[in-house]
Amino acid sequence: MAAASLAIMPQTTESPAFLSVQGLKKHFGGVKALDGVSFSLLKGEVHALVGENGAGKSTLIKILSGVFPYDSGSISLAGEEYRPANPHVAKELGVQVVHQEFNLLDHLSIAENISVERMPTTRLGLLDRQEMNRRARLALDAVGLTDVDVKAPVSSLGIAHRQLVEISRALQSKSRILILDEPTATLTERETRRLFDIIESIRADGVTIVFVSHHLEEVFAICDRVTVFRNGISIGTDRISETTPDGVVRKMVGRQLAATANEADPKRTPGEVALRLDAICTQANPKDKGVSFDLRYGEIVGIAGLVGAGRTEILRGIFGVDPLRSGRILQAGTEIRFAGPRDAIAAGIGFVTEDRKDEGLILDMPIAANMSLANMRAISRTGLLQFSEENRRTREGGARLKLKYGKISDAVSSLSGGNQQKVVLAKWLGRNPKVLLLDEPTRGVDVGAKAEIYAILKDLARDGVALLVVSSEMPELMTLADRILVLAEHEIQGELTRPEFSEENILKLAYGQVRQAGGQTQ
Amino acid sequence: MTTQVLSETMPNATRFSVRTALQNAGIGLALLALILFFSVFTEHFLTPNNITNILTQITINLVLAVGMTFVILIGGIDLSVGSVMAFAAVVAGKAITLPGFGPAEAIALAVVAATLTGVACGMINGVISAYWALPSFIITLGMLNIARGAALQVSEAQTIYSFPYAFEEFGSAMIYGVPVVFLVALLLVLVAWFVLNFTVFGRLLYGIGNNEEAVRLAGHSVYWYKVAAFTICGFTAGIAAIVYMARLNISSPIAGIGFELNAIAAVIIGGTSLSGGRGSVIGTLLGAFIIGVLANGLILIGLSDFMRQMITGVVIIVAVVLDHYRAKYASK
Repeated sequence: MAAASLAIMPQTTESPAFLSVQGLKKHFGGVKALDGVSFSLLKGEVHALVGENGAGKSTLIKILSGVFPYDSGSISLAGEEYRPANPHVAKELGVQVVHQEFNLLDHLSIAENISVERMPTTRLGLLDRQEMNRRARLALDAVGLTDVDVKAPVSSLGIAHRQLVEISRALQSKSRILILDEPTATLTERETRRLFDIIESIRADGVTIVFVSHHLEEVFAICDRVTVFRNGISIGTDRISETTPDGVVRKMVGRQLAATANEADPKRTPGEVALRLDAICTQANPKDKGVSFDLRYGEIVGIAGLVGAGRTEILRGIFGVDPLRSGRILQAGTEIRFAGPRDAIAAGIGFVTEDRKDEGLILDMPIAANMSLANMRAISRTGLLQFSEENRRTREGGARLKLKYGKISDAVSSLSGGNQQKVVLAKWLGRNPKVLLLDEPTRGVDVGAKAEIYAILKDLARDGVALLVVSSEMPELMTLADRILVLAEHEIQGELTRPEFSEENILKLAYGQVRQAGGQTQ
Repeated sequence: MTTQVLSETMPNATRFSVRTALQNAGIGLALLALILFFSVFTEHFLTPNNITNILTQITINLVLAVGMTFVILIGGIDLSVGSVMAFAAVVAGKAITLPGFGPAEAIALAVVAATLTGVACGMINGVISAYWALPSFIITLGMLNIARGAALQVSEAQTIYSFPYAFEEFGSAMIYGVPVVFLVALLLVLVAWFVLNFTVFGRLLYGIGNNEEAVRLAGHSVYWYKVAAFTICGFTAGIAAIVYMARLNISSPIAGIGFELNAIAAVIIGGTSLSGGRGSVIGTLLGAFIIGVLANGLILIGLSDFMRQMITGVVIIVAVVLDHYRAKYASK
């Protein structure tokens, strides 16, 4: 942490910082989202913020744009203390954000959306539609959308165009700092180039641009400086001309390149193919090239990748939650089609979802009811609940996973995060699944429970269960998996075997650094 | 962190036992307080005649509220029950007055006609709102109009009367001063309590009300459970129609206007959360009693019917505000 605060001393050789952040901290309950962030923005520069998922970029942006207050530290804007009470104040002070998720009103026209913050009025105080459309026309022309009708509803636009409309809206107000959060995530190459031209021209007007991106090549194409984040700390700022993509990746990973035990588990022997995915295209995948891989009984396959790479979608596709756009899933050589989770469960598949609060658990219901949710048949006879059987199974499942609880009639919400996650696991283990899909299996789980969950998963693999684990935590994948598939933009960028496991290798693939080399590593 | 202190065989171990029991106890206390209050301040409140009166008065509302509990538990609402009751009563009235049947057959026919009509309306509500994932508020508002219109159409806006004598007898029969129709309602409450607490079906209704997605991802067909809940609500509207006909010996196409609101009020006062997933049919029973006792007692005390309405309204609002704090407390 000491190193972190050193690295961000304002660079004295440059013109004075326009915006300067010092020792910024932000907690959400017990979770440290930002734990000492310091960096500065110069007037008229394009400044990149990079870091893994959860490194703190989004929190920082939300603080800068007035969504959250900060706990400690200081921010100064043009020499004055900057502590926006709400997004409106931030905008008044000239800090604009184009968010990753769209904030457009679908059913209103493009023109109305562009003017929504400050509607032009006639002398009578009525809406001046002409003026509104004129402004929108100018705004759209500025971002190159000359062929789009400003009176069309936003819902008629494709995703890339929406992004550009969003940007043109932000440009409406006089901004001093424009923050672009993953602006290229949905853009094609041509549109990206157009966006870069726009950024150049805004910068020429003296606006400072903050560019958040997962694509390092873009960062190196248009940014002047880059600040790297890791675990809520700013690691340091470099001039683009003085660093390399590899150097940035190394900073993102940090020195804690933990010496992971790179040997395989000798007791684990991958057996028959449990599921074969053949060119699976999920609904979210814009391209036609699908994902193909085999999952064998008795092995743990990890899926790494950045948020938005299409990892969760693959699990949901397999489980029949969302219909697949194309591709086939084969089980024991024959194609299977799941109309919904019910079919997938019948085929021996379980799905530990990413979000246990929204999808995994019924928080207000008892532990026992949650554990039996996927296995009602085992605890009932002709539709009548067999409470003694349910209690027995719940206690058994709890003991197997070392669940810490008061009474099995307690609501799940009374448990800690780690124990809640164990309940989700127990729900599926009660069915003795042959295939278990897990999405972020230890998110929000403390270290102790994490180790216990890892042990459980490894035991399952030894017992011949096929496990497919999606995780944003690379050490987690390296601990668990026999091999890791790295996903980016809905494509498998490469497959890493145990000896090749390292955060650097995973990140390189995830950021597309070695894509050109045909997915080869090392 | 105490571990594994289990009540071994109690079925309660897997329900929201403690919380629900406390909640019901609270509502029960409120009811007792009301009864006490009216017993002290009026002469006639605690007389056998008046008690019979109250039981008779709350019967129809209780029957409707039992079905409403199922719908509200899954996070829905059914505004159509009053109209559906009238429609079912008119259809049954037509059936019971068909020429050429003996009293027993005619009554059986009426019962079947009323319940089938209710079930059909409820099922339509459920299928449409569940299949297209539309707010049941709107769908059942539509059904409210459809059923009312249908009732008027089928009856040609005429009241149907002259039912078999046996039917009338059933409507006014007493066992130890307890109206038989009330016992029918009580039976419904018991069956509903059993279904909600001891069957897979009931468990999943609570689950759906709390977290539909989790239930779906656990492999259950949320759609059918929702349809079933609305169908049950329609069924109880059909039963309410029978009770209504037996009590009044007529089928009026304009019966039951606003009854849905009283049924919803009983459910909410009974502690069932409007957002679903939390509550019990025992609470609904107590809620219906509170409304009935208030209505009866306030009039005995000498307040006008208008005042009674206002006070009932206040009670509903107080109940929901209390529920808000209860939910907040529970989530801590």
